[in-house]
Amino acid sequence: MNPMIRKELRQRMRERRGWLLPSLYLVVLGAVVAFAYFVTTTDRGQSSVQGSTVGVVLFLTLAYSQLALLLLLAPIFSAGSITIEKEQRTLAGLLTSLLTSGQIWWGKFVSSLLFVLLLLVTSLPVLSMAFAFGGIGPWEIFSATLTTVIILACVSAIGLYCSSAFQRSVHATAVSYAIVIAISVVTAIVFFVRLTMYESAHRPTTSHDWYDIPLNIRAPMYVNPFFFLTASFAPPKQLYPAWITCACVFITLGALAVALTLRNLRRRVDL
Amino acid sequence: MIDVEQMHKSFDGTRALDGFTLHVGAGELFGLVGPNGAGKTTLMKILCTLLPMDSGTAQIGGLNVDIRAREVKRLIGYLPDQPGVYQDMSVREFLEFFADAFQLTGAHQRAAVDRALERSGLADRSRNSVEQLSFGMKQRLVLAKTLLHDPKVLLLDEPATGLDPLARIELREQLKRLQAEGITILISSHILSDLEDICTQIALISAGRNATDAEGHSVVQLRAPQAPVRIYEIEVFGDSAPAVTIVNSVAGTRLLESSADRMVVEITGADDQVAALLRTLVVGGVDVLRFDHRALDLEERYRMVFRERRP
Repeated sequence: MNPMIRKELRQRMRERRGWLLPSLYLVVLGAVVAFAYFVTTTDRGQSSVQGSTVGVVLFLTLAYSQLALLLLLAPIFSAGSITIEKEQRTLAGLLTSLLTSGQIWWGKFVSSLLFVLLLLVTSLPVLSMAFAFGGIGPWEIFSATLTTVIILACVSAIGLYCSSAFQRSVHATAVSYAIVIAISVVTAIVFFVRLTMYESAHRPTTSHDWYDIPLNIRAPMYVNPFFFLTASFAPPKQLYPAWITCACVFITLGALAVALTLRNLRRRVDL
Repeated sequence: MIDVEQMHKSFDGTRALDGFTLHVGAGELFGLVGPNGAGKTTLMKILCTLLPMDSGTAQIGGLNVDIRAREVKRLIGYLPDQPGVYQDMSVREFLEFFADAFQLTGAHQRAAVDRALERSGLADRSRNSVEQLSFGMKQRLVLAKTLLHDPKVLLLDEPATGLDPLARIELREQLKRLQAEGITILISSHILSDLEDICTQIALISAGRNATDAEGHSVVQLRAPQAPVRIYEIEVFGDSAPAVTIVNSVAGTRLLESSADRMVVEITGADDQVAALLRTLVVGGVDVLRFDHRALDLEERYRMVFRERRP
């Protein structure tokens, strides 16, 4: 086993946030589910509501709120990962050992991602409640989980890049959050503004098909994690092109972040 | 064991190393002395493969540090100027992690960690948290970590910084023991008296270049059996002018300073040359009150070299 992974996991689980964050995460998620259930059953009248409708609402609420929460948490684990080594002056010791830059990156990445995945796994019982109501199949749960993992891996890789580029954890975390906000919120705003301008310039068609919108207007949404998650709810045969395009974009972004992080670790000018 | 030829390194146009050259023999305890910003830390970082050089060559144990970095890492132990520790680990966990990082496993790892604990005098604190150790103990722990994989060469960048006098003495003793074990040590320090006590030779560095002392040496021999050039202080009764004339006439001697009744003379040669000068002075009618060998200590040499160069 990579010594970095063992060290990182040991250190992370000793921190107070090792148990505090999963607890808070589950409390928030539980509250969101309870709220969604309450709203669904109250609005429609408990007697007339279909179990499958409740299941679908709970599932969608959970999937989106889980993604939002994890997008907020992922930079905490990754962005401080390399800067902490710089701050406590242990990075030189790592780089002059027989550990390669790749091993150091992999150890940091796996430990950051594993902690976020731990949160994802702890929410599975809550997710299974939605499954129990019906309307949701194993495919939806699988594709939503896979999509969330791809997004979190990409965000963790970006966080690690920021960590390698900055000296202080606070700066790396701030820039990581700026990137998360840019891809989650700014892309959506840009899309909706441009869509509105396009629709006001052209007579709106009766068709509301996504692919009727010109590609240059749709493009920002392919980097939006919430759109990526939405695309994952399509049936397996309709994953192309939206989900596949999003997956390629996120994997490319992640790979670019990995390459830049390794370059920074090999440069070592800021030790 | 360590060979550096014409090393150049710049940061954003600022030259940190400007053609520095250094040769350290196997088993030596070699000092590197220079003022802040002279390029000592840059040199250390290049030697331990943390930084690439712009031009020149650097070899450790015959291995080019740029090309064969991984093999060089097996040979060296590097102690940075501000070594860090993982505060939330126990002393043993800290050493085990770095033993893992140097690919020591199983029985080899246990033996290496036990030896490191013994060497650092931290065996009875192996279960303590690193956070609980004093600064001096942490420094010992980091040095112990540096020795885990039995390096042949130690690169120590200002290892005595921040240590109290007792810890400095302990460090000096430990370095002497390591040298006795055959480890080649390159140490940079501002604590000149520490270097003078333990080093076999000292190289002077200033503005990234080899500097020379008042006697023209870029490398100061501290353990040489007999220095080829010696400084004598001569005090005479009455006017020193006749003595100055005699000194200037004797081959192998050079007048460095003179006042009304006192001279500082550089004599090149063995003891017979010194005796010849004294005899010539006495025969020439000079009343010599004092004829003393003046050993330049390292601090004095350092001052003479760098006094005029401080920016």
